[in-house]
Amino acid sequence: MEASIFAAVQVSILSIAVIFTVLTILIFTIKLLVKLIPYQAPPAKPARRKPPSSNNDQDDHVAVITATLSMHMGKSPDEFRIVNISQS
Amino acid sequence: MKEFSFGESTAKILTTTGFSSLEGGDITMIFIACIMLYLAIWKKFEPLLLLPIGFGCLLANIPMSMMANTDAGGLLNFFYQGIKHEVLPPLIFLGVGALTDFGPLLANPTTLLLGAAAQVGVYMTLIGAVFLGFNMQEASAIGIIGGADGPTSIFIASKLAPHLLAPIAVAAYSYMSLVPLIQPPIMKFLTTEKERKIKMEQLKPISQTVKIIFPVIVTIVCCLMLPGVTPLLGMLMLGNLFRESGVTGRLHETAETHLINIVTILLALAVGSSMTADSFLRLETLKIIILGLLAFSFATVGGVLFGKLMCKMTGGRVNPLIGSAGVSAVPMAARVSQKVGAEADSSNFLLMHAMGPNVAGVIGSAVAAGVFISLFGDVAILEPHASIADIVGSVEPGAKAAIAQVVGALHP
Repeated sequence: MEASIFAAVQVSILSIAVIFTVLTILIFTIKLLVKLIPYQAPPAKPARRKPPSSNNDQDDHVAVITATLSMHMGKSPDEFRIVNISQS
Repeated sequence: MKEFSFGESTAKILTTTGFSSLEGGDITMIFIACIMLYLAIWKKFEPLLLLPIGFGCLLANIPMSMMANTDAGGLLNFFYQGIKHEVLPPLIFLGVGALTDFGPLLANPTTLLLGAAAQVGVYMTLIGAVFLGFNMQEASAIGIIGGADGPTSIFIASKLAPHLLAPIAVAAYSYMSLVPLIQPPIMKFLTTEKERKIKMEQLKPISQTVKIIFPVIVTIVCCLMLPGVTPLLGMLMLGNLFRESGVTGRLHETAETHLINIVTILLALAVGSSMTADSFLRLETLKIIILGLLAFSFATVGGVLFGKLMCKMTGGRVNPLIGSAGVSAVPMAARVSQKVGAEADSSNFLLMHAMGPNVAGVIGSAVAAGVFISLFGDVAILEPHASIADIVGSVEPGAKAAIAQVVGALHP
């Protein structure tokens, strides 16, 4: 096939026009679809209430944190005291 | 049996070794294969593709191994039939469709235009290729490198310029791996600091029904307009329908994992097998490598400039950096947009916004390929792969007469 720069430019312009046309049709189709079928959030599940932690649970947590900290700091558990645990 | 002669047997063994037929071209190609393996393994350049391509190249250039794509009856010749008959690239697209979430594109459909604008790279390269002496079909196959889509490049090359398949595939995949190096300087050069800091609104959620209907609509619209691209786009959309329909979990899982992996091995080895000294060590290869770089650069320029235009038209609500993601190369190009945006403002998250033009680029490059097939392909004169004559030719004479009778009755 004979190829010239002029022919290549013509092919390029024609092709870009086709691409923009096809994709513009798609844009309008998507917009129409989104308008016709809007997003509906799924119904929220009822939140389950968490039972308040017992003193026993808290003691367990303090023991675990104390052991971890003493190992990390290289100190005896008697050398420091955990005074407060807050939940964020 | 002939009497055994030690001397003759030794000579025979020596003449049947690959060393006896090794030529300069083979040695050069083995060296190139080793470089590709090095880049894949140690530099992590698209290793999933460059490694099997490099190894395929290595195998193809071992003399008397019968591993080149042209060696009829050889192992890789069978794999190559998958490219020749356009089977493997569409199967890769099936997997890509199964992996792709079109949600960001559906939430902001105007980003499809960025995917279209980035195709400028394809056409600038086409003009450049014609300028360098390629004919229009070859130039189209080279230009599609700018679409930054490996399977599309292979598909078009096998259809329009099969003799250029190897350099085109290697250029496409090599530059795709270099996207993080090629794009940022261009993006920074074309945008201001203020533009790079633009924060985009959060994307709205999309109904699952829309996500299910979308692949069907794209198939109908695009494939009716450009039937030549149906194998690619049809498979892409089928893979996406597997994903979104929610009723084909097993097919979706297979397409996005095992199938795409198996097909990648076959495709990459077949591409590697086409890298023989005869087909690769030519001046055309050098031209294609240079044109490939131009293609990626112009595609980035087109996307970013159109992004700037959208930024102006929307009153600064679009960050132009997402335009560069229109070059396809999913998801690497989108990651580059995110990275360059975050360099200007660390609290700027562009990744999801860039995924819209990124997947639009896949559709855009497929449409660009469809236009080339419509213009220069043979859509109207397609021949079936196996004709009735082929089948008749392979059966017993008695059965042949019977088949001829049936065919005669069907087509009097």
